Amino acid sequence: MGRRFIVILATLAVIANCVWAQDLALKGGTILTITDGTIENGTLVIQNGKITAVGKNVKIPSGIKVIDVTGKYIMPGVIDSHSHIALTDVNEATDPVTPQIWMWEALEPGSDSIRKTLAGGVTTVKTMHGSANVIGGVNVTIKLRYDRPVEELIIPGVRQQLKMALGENPKRVYGSKQRIPSTRMGNAYVARKAFIEAKEYKAKWDKYEKDKASGKKDLTPPKKDLRMETLKMVLEKKLSIDCHTYRADEIVWIINFCKEFDIDLLQLSHCIDGYKVADIMAEAGVFYGGWVDWWGFKEEAYDGCPYGMQIMHDAGVKIVINSDSPVEGRYLFRVAAKVLKYTDIPENEVLKMITLNPAESLELGDRIGSLEKGKDGDIAVFDKHPLDTTTKCLMTIIEGEIFFDYTKESVTVTSEGEQHRFPPPNGRVESIEASHVASHKSDKGGNR
Amino acid sequence: MKRISHLVLVVFILLAGAEAFAAADTILIKNGTIVPVKGDSTTTGDLLIENGKIIKIGTRIQAPAGAKVIDASGKYVYPGLVAVMTAVGVTGYPGAGNDTDEVGTSTPHMDPYDAINPEDECIEVTRLGGVTTVQTVSGTRSVINGKSVILHLEGDLADKMVAKRYVAQIINMGAREQNKYPSTQPGIVSFLRTKFDQALEYSEKLSETDKKSQKDKNKKDEKGKESLAQRNLEMEALVPVVTGKVPVIFITTDEVTIRNALEIIKKYKLKGIIRANSAILKYADRIAKENIPVIWAGTTTIPGRWEPFDLNYHTAAVLAEKGILFAFDPGGWGPGNRNVRDMPTPASISVAHGLSEKKALEALTINPAQILGIEEEVGSLEAGKTANVVIWTGSPIQGRSRVETVIIRGKLIPMTSLQTRLYEKFKKIVYERMKKKK
Repeated sequence: MGRRFIVILATLAVIANCVWAQDLALKGGTILTITDGTIENGTLVIQNGKITAVGKNVKIPSGIKVIDVTGKYIMPGVIDSHSHIALTDVNEATDPVTPQIWMWEALEPGSDSIRKTLAGGVTTVKTMHGSANVIGGVNVTIKLRYDRPVEELIIPGVRQQLKMALGENPKRVYGSKQRIPSTRMGNAYVARKAFIEAKEYKAKWDKYEKDKASGKKDLTPPKKDLRMETLKMVLEKKLSIDCHTYRADEIVWIINFCKEFDIDLLQLSHCIDGYKVADIMAEAGVFYGGWVDWWGFKEEAYDGCPYGMQIMHDAGVKIVINSDSPVEGRYLFRVAAKVLKYTDIPENEVLKMITLNPAESLELGDRIGSLEKGKDGDIAVFDKHPLDTTTKCLMTIIEGEIFFDYTKESVTVTSEGEQHRFPPPNGRVESIEASHVASHKSDKGGNR
Repeated sequence: MKRISHLVLVVFILLAGAEAFAAADTILIKNGTIVPVKGDSTTTGDLLIENGKIIKIGTRIQAPAGAKVIDASGKYVYPGLVAVMTAVGVTGYPGAGNDTDEVGTSTPHMDPYDAINPEDECIEVTRLGGVTTVQTVSGTRSVINGKSVILHLEGDLADKMVAKRYVAQIINMGAREQNKYPSTQPGIVSFLRTKFDQALEYSEKLSETDKKSQKDKNKKDEKGKESLAQRNLEMEALVPVVTGKVPVIFITTDEVTIRNALEIIKKYKLKGIIRANSAILKYADRIAKENIPVIWAGTTTIPGRWEPFDLNYHTAAVLAEKGILFAFDPGGWGPGNRNVRDMPTPASISVAHGLSEKKALEALTINPAQILGIEEEVGSLEAGKTANVVIWTGSPIQGRSRVETVIIRGKLIPMTSLQTRLYEKFKKIVYERMKKKK
C-alpha cells in the first residue's frame, strides 16, 4: 500500500515541479561544482528547476531573474542523509520489528525544523525512523520545501530505505521491558527471523501470482501482512537498508546478513567503528554515515576517532557526514570543516561528504549533489568558503526557488514585530517530537 | 650483591631522568605569531618558558642552556583554552566509570575533588584539542549539585592536576523533581530560599561556636567533639555561598529561570554567575547593570518557532556589545558530552554572526578564567603566568586549525590520546588486510 501511495505522490510531485519550478541566474560568484573544479567569477543558470548552464562565460537568457552573488560562494545544496526533522513521531518503540511503519505518514511540511535547517544551506534530507527497533520503519527522502503540500517534499522516483538498528538501543528498549532482544544475539535473531518469514511470505505470494498469471482458477490469495509486505519489497530490492551500527563486529555482521538475504545495504549510520573495518566496508560498497568528532557519549561510541576518516578515505569508503540532529543539521558545513583538522583528505573530497556522497547514498547522484548541467537547481550560497567556519549561509535555493534568504530572515534585519512573519500552518501541531530528538547536545544518548 | 646495587643505581638514574622530563621543561618557542589575547596585540616573536611559567615574550630571545627550542614559524601561539564547565576527570568509562550527579535534591557538599581520575581518557583527548584548563563540576541534575574544581589537564595524580578547590557551587534552576518536592519552578525557588536561610542561621551558629571555643581554650578538645557531633556537612558547604565567599553558577533553561536566579542573587547578595542556553538577551541590560558574568551555552540552541533562525547565533555579539563578561560553553555537559574539545564551534558560529574574532577568543580563554577567578594564573600569554601554551596551525576559531604542540604548566605534552592510539592500531590492521587481499 505504501508503495502505491508513493507512486501517486511521485506523479503529483512531477506535476507540482512543473508548476513551482523557477528560472534563476546567479552571477559573479565562486562556484564550487564538486565534480568539475572551482569556477571563479562564474554564472549558474537554472531553468525549469534544472541547471542549464554553469561556467565562466555563460550567456544569461533574457527575461530571467538575476541575482548578483559577486564575492560569494555557490555550492550544491547540502544533503543530510540521516535526520529526524519534520516528523511528528520518530520511534514506534512497541515492537522490535515494525516495517509496516512509513515515515512519510509522520511528515510535517510546516515543521519549524525545516525552516531552521534551510538556513544552513540544506536542501535535501532523509528523515528517519528512530533506533529503538531492530527493524524500524521506512525512511523518507525529502526536499525542504517548507510548508508546501507533502507531495512537493517527497522526491519522486527515489528508492526509499528501511531503517534497521543494532547494538545498545534495541537492547535497552526491549531488555528493559523483559523482552527479546536484550542482547546482540537477540538483535541478530529478531532480524533473521523476520527476514526468514518474509522469504516464506514472498514465496507464497510469488506462487499465487504465478498461478494466477498461468490462468489457474479458484485460487485463494495468501493472507496479507503489512509488515511482511515491506520486507518483501526489501527482498525484491524495491527498498534498501540504512542500518544504525556502532561497533565493528556489528558492521561486519550486517554486511554479511545483507549478503545472506541478498538485500541492498546502502548506508551504515553512526558507524563509529567504521575505520576499524574500512576495507570490509569498501568491498561491500556501503557508505559510512556519521559524525566527525563525537565520541564516548555511550559505551558503544567510546572508540569514536576522527582520525579514522583517513583510514576510510584511503580504503575507498565513501564518507557521508550526517547530523542525526536538528541542531547540527543547521551547520553541517562547519562540522565538515573539522575533517581537515584531523585528516589530510583534500577539501573537495570533504565537500563531497555533505553533497555528492550523501546524494549517492540516497541513489540520487545523477540528480543532486553537484553543480552540473541537467542536475536539480539546488543551491546554497555562502558569504565565505563553506569550509571556513566563520562563514554563514546567505541563500538556499531548491529547484530554482528561493526558500531561505538571510537578508529577510536574520535577527539583524528583522525587528521584533516582524518576527511573526511565518504564520502557523493551519491545523498543524508543532513538531515537538522532532525537536526532542537531540535539541540539546547533552541529550545525545536519546536517539543515538 | 654489588651488581644488584648497580642495577638499583641505574634504575634510580633512569627514574630521576624521567622525573626531570616530567618536571617543568625549559622551552623556547621561536618565530611564532604570538596571540596573547589580553593586552598587547599580536606579534611575531619568541616565548620563553621556565619552571612552569611564562618568563618572557619578545624577539630574538636567547635559548637558555638545555632549553627545548620549538620552531613556530608560520604557526600561531595561543594561551590554552579554558573550558568553563565540564565533567573531565569524573566521567570515566560510560556506565560504571561515571561519577557524576549524586542522588539528592540538595548535595552542595559533593566535591569532584574526591573522584578525579587522572586516567580518564577524556583528559588526553581534550588537551589535544588545545584545552589546557577546565572547571570540573560534580553534577547538574539536582537543584543544589555540589562544588567544582579547576584542573590543569596534566599530572599523574589527582592532587597534581587540581589547581583550585571549591571554585563555585552549581545550582540548577530547572532541575524539577518528579513526583516529589520541588516539582515546579516556584517550588525550586522556595526550596533554595529555605536552604539559604538555614545556611545563614548555621553560619551564625558557627561563628558563635568559634567565639566560645576561642574564649575557653582549655575545653577546646571537648568543644571540638561536641561541634563535630552537630556538624552538618550540607550546611557547611552552603555557608561560603551565602556569605559571598564562593560564587554560584546558576544553570538556567529559559526566561523564567534566569529571572528567578537574578532575584535570588540580589536577595542573598550572592556572587552569582548565570549559565544560560537561551533567552539571555531578555535580561541583558539588567545583567550588564548588575555586573553579573554569563556562561553562554546557547549558541547552538534552536530558537523558538517564532524567533529568527539566528537569534542564538547572534547572542554573543550582543553580549559583547553590552560589555557583559561572558564565556563560551559548548552546551552539553556531563557523561553525554565528552567532546569538550569542540568548544571553539560556538565561537566560530558567533563570529560568523557578528562577534569579532578577538572577543570570541577572549570568551574561550581569559573570560572563563576571569569568571572562575583564575585570571591571574591562566587565560592569556603574559610574563609571570602559568605556562599553558598551545601552538596551532591557525586560529582556534577555524574548524580546520590543528593543534601541534601543547604545553601545560611548562610541560611538553605528548601528542597522543586514546584516539591517536586507536588510529595507529587500526591503520596497521586495515592496511595489512588490504595488502593481503591484493
